[in-house]
Formats: sequence, C-alpha cells, structure tokens
Amino acid sequence: MVSYLLRRLLIGLVTLAMITCMIYGLIRSMPGSPLDADPAMMDPSKMPSKADIQRMRSVYGLDKPLHLAYWQWLKNTTSLNLGTSYSQKKPVAELISDRVWPTLQLSLTSLLLSYLLAVPMGLYATVRSGRADERGLSFALYMLYSFPSFVAALFLQLLFAVKLEGTWLELPLLGNHSNNYEEMGDAAQAWDSFKHMILPVTCFTYGSLAYYCRFVKANMEEVIRQDYIRTARAKGLGPIRVLIHHAFRNTLIPFVTLLGLTLPGLLGGAIILEGIFNWPGMGLLFFSSILGRDYPTIMSLTLMFSILTLTGQLLADILYAFADPRIRYS
Amino acid sequence: MNRKVPDLVTASPGFWQQSWQRFRRRKLAMFALYFIGLLSMVAIFSPAIAGTKPIVCRYKGEIYFPCLGYYNPSWENPIFQKDRFRRVYPRNLQRKDPDSWALWPLVYQDPHRPVRDGEWEGLEGNPFGAKGQPSGKNWFGTYKTGFDVFASMVHGTRIALLVGFVSTGIAAVIGITLGAVAGYMGGVVDLTISRLIEMVMCVPALVLILALQAVIEEVSIWNIMMLLGLTGWTGMARLTRGEFLKLRETEFVAAARCLGAGRIRIMFRHVLPNALAPVMVPIVFGIAAGIQVEAALSLLGFGAPPPNPSWGTILHSGRETLQSGYWWQVVFPGLGIFLTVLAYNLIGEGIQEATDPRLADSGN
Repeated sequence: MVSYLLRRLLIGLVTLAMITCMIYGLIRSMPGSPLDADPAMMDPSKMPSKADIQRMRSVYGLDKPLHLAYWQWLKNTTSLNLGTSYSQKKPVAELISDRVWPTLQLSLTSLLLSYLLAVPMGLYATVRSGRADERGLSFALYMLYSFPSFVAALFLQLLFAVKLEGTWLELPLLGNHSNNYEEMGDAAQAWDSFKHMILPVTCFTYGSLAYYCRFVKANMEEVIRQDYIRTARAKGLGPIRVLIHHAFRNTLIPFVTLLGLTLPGLLGGAIILEGIFNWPGMGLLFFSSILGRDYPTIMSLTLMFSILTLTGQLLADILYAFADPRIRYS
Repeated sequence: MNRKVPDLVTASPGFWQQSWQRFRRRKLAMFALYFIGLLSMVAIFSPAIAGTKPIVCRYKGEIYFPCLGYYNPSWENPIFQKDRFRRVYPRNLQRKDPDSWALWPLVYQDPHRPVRDGEWEGLEGNPFGAKGQPSGKNWFGTYKTGFDVFASMVHGTRIALLVGFVSTGIAAVIGITLGAVAGYMGGVVDLTISRLIEMVMCVPALVLILALQAVIEEVSIWNIMMLLGLTGWTGMARLTRGEFLKLRETEFVAAARCLGAGRIRIMFRHVLPNALAPVMVPIVFGIAAGIQVEAALSLLGFGAPPPNPSWGTILHSGRETLQSGYWWQVVFPGLGIFLTVLAYNLIGEGIQEATDPRLADSGN
C-alpha cells in the first residue's frame, strides 16, 4: 500500500511537471510576446500597462532562456506567488480564494443533495424492480442522465426566469444575489441567496443524481441475489432490515469510491454552468480572464484545476483501497 | 443419387453476427441507430435540404454545383462571383442567362444570411426579432437578425457529427494502438504506457481547450477535435490492454505464433478483432461526450468560429435573446443535442448488452 501510494504520488508529480511545462509553453508561445500590445485587443482597458509588463516579465522570466525561466516560474508558483492579475490589479491568489466559496456553495450542496436523494430512490427502485412505477422512474432517470446540463440550464432559465416572470414561481436568471442584497435584512438575504441557488443547483445535481441512482440500483440488484440475503429472509427478518442492513451495507464500497471519483468535478465541474448562470465562482473567473486575456489568472487556474483533478484521482484510488480490504495494490 | 444430403453441421453464427442479432432485438437501440443514420444523412446532404444555392444548375452552357460551397467556400465555382451573383441565385440565374435551369434545395433558406423580400418569387423576406416565431416558412423560427434557425440546424448537424466522429476517431486510434501494444508486449513497454495512461487521465481537457483559446488567435474546430482526441483515449487504452493481456495467452495466438506470424500481424489481425467488442462501448459514449463538449463551448462563445453554424452557436445567440422570450432559438437546438446524446447513449448501452459474453447464451 505504502509503495503504491508513493508510486502514485511520484506519477502525480511527473504529471504535474508535464502539465506545468505545457502551461509554461503556452505562456511562452503566446502570439508575439503576450506582453506587447496585441493588435487583436482593441479594448484599451484590457491592455497591460507598462508596469504590468515589467512585473510579468520578472514573474514569468520572459527575458531569460527557457530552462532558467521555467525554473523561476516554478519557484514562484510553488511559493504561491501566482503573479498579479492585470485586469483586476490584485494578486491572483487573492482573486482565486475569493471565488472558492461560491463554487463550493454550488458543488457541496449538489453533492449532498444527489447522495441524499439517490440512496432512497435507488432502494425504492430495487424493491419495486420490474413494476410499472420502477420502470417509469428508471426511464425518467435515463432521460435525465442523457440530458446535457447546459441545455437544461437554458430551458429552466427560459421557463422560470422569463416565461414565469411576475408570477410567484419566478426565479432569478443570473448571479448569486440580487442587486440590492446589501440593503436586505438577514432573513431576506438568506431567502435571496436560496432563490438564486435553486436553478444552478438543480442543473448541477440532476445528472449525477440519475447516475448515482442507477448505480445504487445496479449494485443492489447484484447483492440482493446473494445467498446471505436469502438466509436473512429465511430467519424471518423484516424486508426493510434485510434491505438496509444486509443488502445496502454491502453496496457501500463502490458507492464510497464513486465519491472519490466525483471529487475532481467538485471544484472544476461547474465551469460551464457557472458561465451560463453568471455564478461568481472559479469557473466564471476563468471565462472572464480568458476574455480579458488575463494570462496570470488563466495559468494559475489551469494549474489549479489540474492539481484538483490529480488529487481527486488519487483520493479515489486510496478510498477504494480503504473501503475494500480485498483490494491490494502492489 | 441426386437426393440432396441435409447438412448435418451448419456453421454457427460468428460473434459479431450473434451480437448484431441481439442488438437488433432491442427496439430502443435500433430506433436510436436509425435516428443517427437519419442525422448522418441530414449532415451529408445538408446543402440539398436547406440552402439558397442550387444543387445543380446549367449556366451559360455549363453544368455547376454551387451547393458545394456550403462544404467549402472554394468549391463554389468562381464564375458566380465574377458575374456578381452576390449569393442570390434565383433572380440572377434568370436575368443573366434566360436559358439556365437549376435544381433547388428542399427549403429555400440560408444558414449564413437572412432571405430577403422577393429573392424567390412569392417568398417574403425572413421576419426579425419577436416576429420570428416558427411558421410555415421558417419552421424553427428565425434569429434576432432574421437568419433561419432550421437551415442553421441542418447545416450544424455536420459539425455536431464531425466533432463526435473525428475526436473519438483520434482517441480510438491512439487508445487501441497503445492499449494493444501495452497488453501484448507487457514488461517495460506495458509499464511505460500504463504510467502514460495515468498521466493523461489527469489532464482536464475542457480547461486546456479553454486556456488555449486565450493563447491561439483563432481556435478552429479542428484544434478542439484534436485536443478532445488527444485527451480522451485513456479509457479505451485501459480496456484494450486488459483484453490483450487476457487474449495473448490463448491457444489461437500460440497457433498463429507457431505458424510464424509476426508480432504486428498477431496483434492487429488475430487478437484485435477479438478484443474490439468491449472497446466499442466507450467509443460510442465518447462520441456523445464530444458532441456535448463542442456544444457547451460554442454556447459560451468559445467554440468553432463563425460563420460555421453549430447547434451550440444557435444556443449561444438564443441565450443572448433569452430575456426577450424567443424560446425557439433555445428549444429546437437544445432538443437536437439532447436527442443525439440520448441516441448515442442508447446505442452504447445496446452494444454493451449485445456483446456481453455473460448474456450470450441466455439470449437464445
């Protein structure tokens, strides 16, 4: 196990080095020098100022040969000196940390919701297996699973924010709070945030909910045929106890590993939805920095998303080994 | 003596034939397959379905195919530019050569521009803005600027299917080759390739594509397909590797080796056809994923550059006018993407169950 972990960590480091090389290569190969005024950038406010250029030159070491410059950039990055955003005039690290909470707000809520709903729904589907209501539920879940979340986002926006505008069902179109948020009382603020969260969380949740639910049902179907379930039934245990204590507990292992696999998506997965809902998280920051050609921010976020994906994969593997004692990594 | 002897031994159906028979029994999967077939037809013949350029025309004694310009602008004969057609064919053909004739697309609408008044005899120009609701003339309505949504969707089918096929094709070639080599050779080669798989698995494709947008001036649809292909092969490589590990110990491989077949020949001629079934499933799902990524990127304005219409770019302009309530620009392309993804998922699932050896005997 330890040697396996070490190996994975080493591979992770190599991968990170590869990704950083790639990102640094992108920085170096930006059209002309990225720091010169780019004729493609017609908007003067998006052009870096002279001071920015000097600062970026030193951070990225563009005046040095490639290997030295890469080394310096790496050193700066590992000491969390991610550079300064030149569209917002703030350190990138600060900019990103401001955006972590809104992203987590979306992803944690949706993670919690989908797990909490998927288990009872999956168990229900197992019990009612083959009947009309289970078939209906499974069919609906399959449809939802194939429904791209960005299309659902647009449909829901159209329905709740445009067509139902003015009725009591109206929901806000964009953002995570209203314009007059600051003037509201505490209860009103909470209500306002809640209303803004409904649509993005729904879009973020339904796909994984459908997936988890199918996953729970598939695993349960396998377990429910085992001999020990028949034994439990034969000794007179009630159906609910058999279902939860004897069957479901034995499907927990794959379920836990699923959690690990969803971790990378937790911070990065909302990129597209944040763009659609104008939700001020890291995904939106990424989009706005691409449009503003804010290279320090783009590169830091790319690096960050890569590290997150990497960590998620690693965690999934570790969780897998812990959850199932039969698995031995060698 | 001439009496026919009944065959005592009939050739049992092969694996693929059996799988196909099992697949065919699944109505939904077959329906999905027909749907994708129909979409492919629409994609291939899109200029003949919706367009303002004749499919075939005779002009000044020569035969031309102006509709090819929709595939590639340079395939449209320059004579029409020289003669100042300004992309309006019906009137100009008549005016400049009274003897000309032309075969027109089914729907006279263009994905690149609105049809104007009197362009086609008796056909009114496309309505704008809120008046652009779906009608007998504009089946799926029009954009804010008067472009026809139906024509854009028909021509967008090309990009949707192309992205799916090309990106997954690249991924499949890389994944199957590397997986085959790793599984068959084993040893150091296997170790190296397995580590490579683990590395590429961690590369967030979407983030990379987006980061590239800031660096490259014009990100073309080919860049996106390349990147999707270069990052999406890991699942297929893993599956192929597993199959090859299993199959290289079988008798038929030993037999082939005894006959003196070379490594490459054994790998791709003998083992690969037997290892292909499980890889088909991620290939089909990969196509669906590719279509979704392209559409999502275009929706946010980071996709294929105009003028090529894609379903995502229609959604993009639909999103801009969402608050005016122009539902047709969102609903039709949205349903198009959903149905296509659903069809690929159904096909993938159908293949999964049809090729599963555990279900092989129960089917009969």
